[in-house]
Amino acid sequence: METIVSNKLQQFVVGLDPTQLPVPHTLQLMAQNHLLAKDFPTTKSERFKYTRLAKLANAQMSNSLLLEKGQLSQHKILTDAYTVYINNKQIILPTDLPSGLQIKLNTEDPDAFHEASFYDVFGALNILYAQNGISIRVANNCTLDKPIQIVQVNSGGKYFYRHHFNFGENAEAAVYIVTKSTIDSNSFAHTHFQYDIAQSARIKVYKIQDCCAGHFDFHEDRAIQNATSHFEINTLTLDGSFVRNDTMVAVKGEHAQTYLNGAYWLKEEQHVANYTTIDHQVAHCESFETYKGVAADRSTAVFNGKVFVRKDAQKTNAYQSNSNVLLSDNASVNSKPELEIYADDVKCSHGSTTGQLDENALFYLRARGLSAATAKTLLLQAFMEDVLTYVKQDEALAYVHQRIADRFSWKY
Amino acid sequence: MIKIENLHASINGKEILKGLDLEVKAGEVHAIMGPNGAGKSTLAAVLAGREDYEITAGSVTFLGKDLLDLPTEDRAREGLFLAFQYPVEIPGVSNVNFLRTALNEKRAYHNQEPISAKDFMALVREKSALVELDAKLASRAVNEGFSGGEKKRNEIFQMAMLDPKLAVLDETDSGLDIDALRIVSQGVNALKSPENASIVITHYQRLLDYIIPDVVHVLYDGKIVKSGPKELALELEERGYDWIKESL
Repeated sequence: METIVSNKLQQFVVGLDPTQLPVPHTLQLMAQNHLLAKDFPTTKSERFKYTRLAKLANAQMSNSLLLEKGQLSQHKILTDAYTVYINNKQIILPTDLPSGLQIKLNTEDPDAFHEASFYDVFGALNILYAQNGISIRVANNCTLDKPIQIVQVNSGGKYFYRHHFNFGENAEAAVYIVTKSTIDSNSFAHTHFQYDIAQSARIKVYKIQDCCAGHFDFHEDRAIQNATSHFEINTLTLDGSFVRNDTMVAVKGEHAQTYLNGAYWLKEEQHVANYTTIDHQVAHCESFETYKGVAADRSTAVFNGKVFVRKDAQKTNAYQSNSNVLLSDNASVNSKPELEIYADDVKCSHGSTTGQLDENALFYLRARGLSAATAKTLLLQAFMEDVLTYVKQDEALAYVHQRIADRFSWKY
Repeated sequence: MIKIENLHASINGKEILKGLDLEVKAGEVHAIMGPNGAGKSTLAAVLAGREDYEITAGSVTFLGKDLLDLPTEDRAREGLFLAFQYPVEIPGVSNVNFLRTALNEKRAYHNQEPISAKDFMALVREKSALVELDAKLASRAVNEGFSGGEKKRNEIFQMAMLDPKLAVLDETDSGLDIDALRIVSQGVNALKSPENASIVITHYQRLLDYIIPDVVHVLYDGKIVKSGPKELALELEERGYDWIKESL
């Protein structure tokens, strides 16, 4: 299918092949129509108000380079997991899966595209240009003995991926999604994750984003939760010069619980944007959302968190908070909590703070003999710690601590 | 131990300390009393190194060093301890972890090896018992959710852990009931030795029933205007401060 789009977008898609994945034809048409009217988003558009894309539009991507399995496996975080490696065009699937777990290429799973949708230019491009992706199924009543680990390593080029998860009724699983890029490569990746969560499933997703400078990392996470399910998604951004996460959870079954957490540690010229939406469509559900970050040097962070409570979603409890600490006069955070409530018997709260470390606390610690640097580190670690308490896996936590220590000289 | 001469300090251009003189020798307990706004808490803050205050004149010599030249943490490492009037709550930072870091940074400053985990925990047990501080509180986040009395006991616990040369207790009695007052005072008295000294800043004579001072000073309008034996505290309790103001 040929797509005609305007100037910068046209340049951007040069060299990309139309998708060979079984994306529904009607959806491809919608995506094309969406793009016809659009150019590369500017800061005038609401969704990109705080994100300058000129760098991306002008970026020359380095040649796509395929890595060998030995090189790829160096990027894994968990030693004992069902691990998938994704590197540009190649996907390496694990063997020896237990009964109840299926991991395939998404082309082999016709259901992988049934809920596909898009919300912006990049989402539309993904529908038209997605090269590949995986499909993971966890059967009803299956409790996985080990986590699933997806290691996606970007090494040059522009790639669109679509991954699909189907968690059966009463299934229990933890998924680690590790995103890396190779040093010195300029690359772009836009990855769409779809999570279908059946009744009473208990699913925890940990996204560990640790790309190098020069990589543009876009993530779209779309979850649909059914009744009494528990879904937790933790997005930890450890590095990467440009990261954009767009996470949307539709809660469609009663008594479901949603935990949406994020943490980001920024310095230099990093830009990290987190857009989240929790859509409470039915009654008796709870959601808890905590995003926290520190921003040093000239870095910029964006948090835009929407919570919808629809008319029928009575007795909803929804809590959202975003707090940030600025470590330099040149760092900035744009934080925008948004609540839209159409039901009348709900408990909802949101809060957003951006500031500096508490001077009184710093003085108190120094008055006990801690150096200013140690006191500051201790307070920053304490500030970020409540998001990290969700990471219960030792290797993952050790990795996160190590990377923070590398980049910020914090000692754990 | 400490010699303060002609100390002038101001905040936001307003002069609070206006030529304060005070000398405390090892083994002594000095009480500083005075009406509201006299500069009692300012003195404590200036000694600890609070940067909001500007020192416009005077000197402070602590164990032979120019105290005002040292950053806050080095004053602490040299052996100065300020028990805060309002201890700060620090969520997420555990009391014992932070104390261990404090103790080890002090030891490193004095070229000593870090304390072992075992010795440290033994010290925690010993010193928390001294102020009847629940061991659970010792391991919780610093002052978070502590009652007023627990916060003050935690201050004395920290003091016991850090074993200072000079302790400055800033209105440690404020907000304490009689039992807590007794426990806190017992802690302070137990730490008293011929090698260290205390400056007890208080509003009320009550605390001085428990911590017996060698000298009582009256701080008024930024200066020490009267000094005397412990009986002076009783006289102040009875007669208030007006007779002192009039005699100036």
